[in-house]
Amino acid sequence: MADQYRPTMLSSCALAATAAEARFRVQYPNSKARVSRVFALDQHAAEAMYAITEAPWNGAHFLTVTTRGDVVPDETGIDDLPLSTPDGSPALLSEELQGANVVILLSSQHSNAGAAEVIAREAYHRNIMTVGLTLGQGASDERVNAVVNTLRPFTSVLVVASDNDYVPAMLSALRA
Amino acid sequence: MLSKEVNDLLTRTDPGTPMGDMFRQYWIPALLAKELPEDDCAPVRVKLLGERLIAFRDSKGRYGLIDEFCAHRGASLWFGRNEEGGLRCPYHGWKFDYTGQCIEVPSEPEESGFCESIKLRGYPLVKIGDILWTHMGDKEQRPEMPVWEFATVPAEQTFTSKRWQECNWLQAMEGGIDSSHVSFLHSGNLQTDPLFRGAGGNKYNLADKKPVFEVVESDGGLYIGARRMAEEDQYYWRITPWVMPSFTMVPPRGDHPVHGHFWIPIDDENCWAWSFDYHPTRALTKEEREALEAGYGVHCKYVPGTFRPLQNKDNDYMMDREAQKRGETYSGIWGIAVQDSSLQESMGPIADRTKENLVSTDNGIIMARHRLRKAAVALRDKGVQPPGRVKEHQLVRSVAKVLPQDQPFKEACKEDLTVRPGVKQTSV
Ligand code: FES
Ligand SMILES: [Fe+2]
Repeated sequence: MADQYRPTMLSSCALAATAAEARFRVQYPNSKARVSRVFALDQHAAEAMYAITEAPWNGAHFLTVTTRGDVVPDETGIDDLPLSTPDGSPALLSEELQGANVVILLSSQHSNAGAAEVIAREAYHRNIMTVGLTLGQGASDERVNAVVNTLRPFTSVLVVASDNDYVPAMLSALRA
Repeated sequence: MLSKEVNDLLTRTDPGTPMGDMFRQYWIPALLAKELPEDDCAPVRVKLLGERLIAFRDSKGRYGLIDEFCAHRGASLWFGRNEEGGLRCPYHGWKFDYTGQCIEVPSEPEESGFCESIKLRGYPLVKIGDILWTHMGDKEQRPEMPVWEFATVPAEQTFTSKRWQECNWLQAMEGGIDSSHVSFLHSGNLQTDPLFRGAGGNKYNLADKKPVFEVVESDGGLYIGARRMAEEDQYYWRITPWVMPSFTMVPPRGDHPVHGHFWIPIDDENCWAWSFDYHPTRALTKEEREALEAGYGVHCKYVPGTFRPLQNKDNDYMMDREAQKRGETYSGIWGIAVQDSSLQESMGPIADRTKENLVSTDNGIIMARHRLRKAAVALRDKGVQPPGRVKEHQLVRSVAKVLPQDQPFKEACKEDLTVRPGVKQTSV
């Protein structure tokens, strides 16, 4: 290593990874607001989600899949999936995915596989990252495993959390 | 991202801090046993969790870890005379035993019993495997002795090293559960490092650079599973266990020894990166031990006579731009350990997590912070003992395995993820 490449000032490279150097780090916002969309796939998941929708989020949208019956993915177009916002008004998947950076599929006792597939499929076509978050609170291991197995093909990250309080923890970590 | 409050909560470990109290609920590695090689050997200065201590081994082979500074006028006992069952301060001759109890004050009449009223803070120091462990918390709450497999297999099957890392413990530990950096930062080493190359599983790593992650909670912490495509609609899984507060194991490769780490705070801006390699069922070969001692795998080379890596921030970690260009190393830094420490130290003494932009593949890190925070708060507010103290949580293994696509790894690998004496690690 040639000597002329040695740093000359305290702040000029990794050599200066000290407490004194830390004050040279520039403070400025280094990211734009994210566009996050959270979809609750079942009733339990919706309850966990509604408990936190009030918090001050950075533009995250919270949606519930309201269909009772089974969704057949091949027969369900993008805007055929019934969605509802926290105040009860309907929403369109095509609009919600517009410009989204991340889709979070929230599920608990029931996987609602058909609806998960429709959302994941549409997100995939738009190159949007899909995260599956399964809440184990109050559910048996078999149930959780069944839900996780259904979500696995559709998601690029899958998390099994034992407590509902992981939902806000994850969302704030991701600047949702 | 974390708020400043939570970042402070997780990173500060001095006495009286919530995370400091939490670390004080565990047996943690304090020294390598070889640092105190014989009775009455030289005492060793130890700083842990912001406390300055002195470790010594008395004439009867008893280990002690006591306050570094003499109770008389505060001189360092590092200058002490380790003789006749205690450590004597060379300034005025006060003498302390391995528990910190003062046993002699030469200026006072012996009959006065004055010395009985003087006691330095002292912690137990117990040898298990290659390590001297300590518990710096309440005696009444002391957990059972640790049973980590790497420390309890026969000596010829295991190797442990430690290195000084010049940054906060949490950013160092986060590297151990950050499975997504391996495909980049360490990509040069898979085919060259003697402790990695030749494993059957390597082909999946090299073929599928974009693993998919599953993060699943365990009683003691987490399992982080990374899966890649394998033959015939199967997945190649690499599963990393994390046990609270700071133990991780790297998934095995072939029949190579299995490695892992402990990250222990020295103070808020320094930590010990403990690294181990062991094989559950066979002795390490001569070649393996030589490679480990030479700083391959997750170990490192040292500034002679110290635990400071030879490549450190004062020499820019011996950055080699040519090697970086050739792709021999991805970052230009030699060796897995310093590839990690160089970047982690560059984040600053205590990483400012208010500015980071985490993405969904960082969920292992997000979940670990969440668990740590919850445990520290539960201990502070309700006195609840944190996970990771009991043997059921400590008897874990990392796993590399090919599974059918529809099998949840936690279920399918239940046995493989648990220590089974006499059974070797599950590996590809
Ligand atoms: S790419 Fe992860 S810290 Fe820069
Ligand atoms: Fe690493």
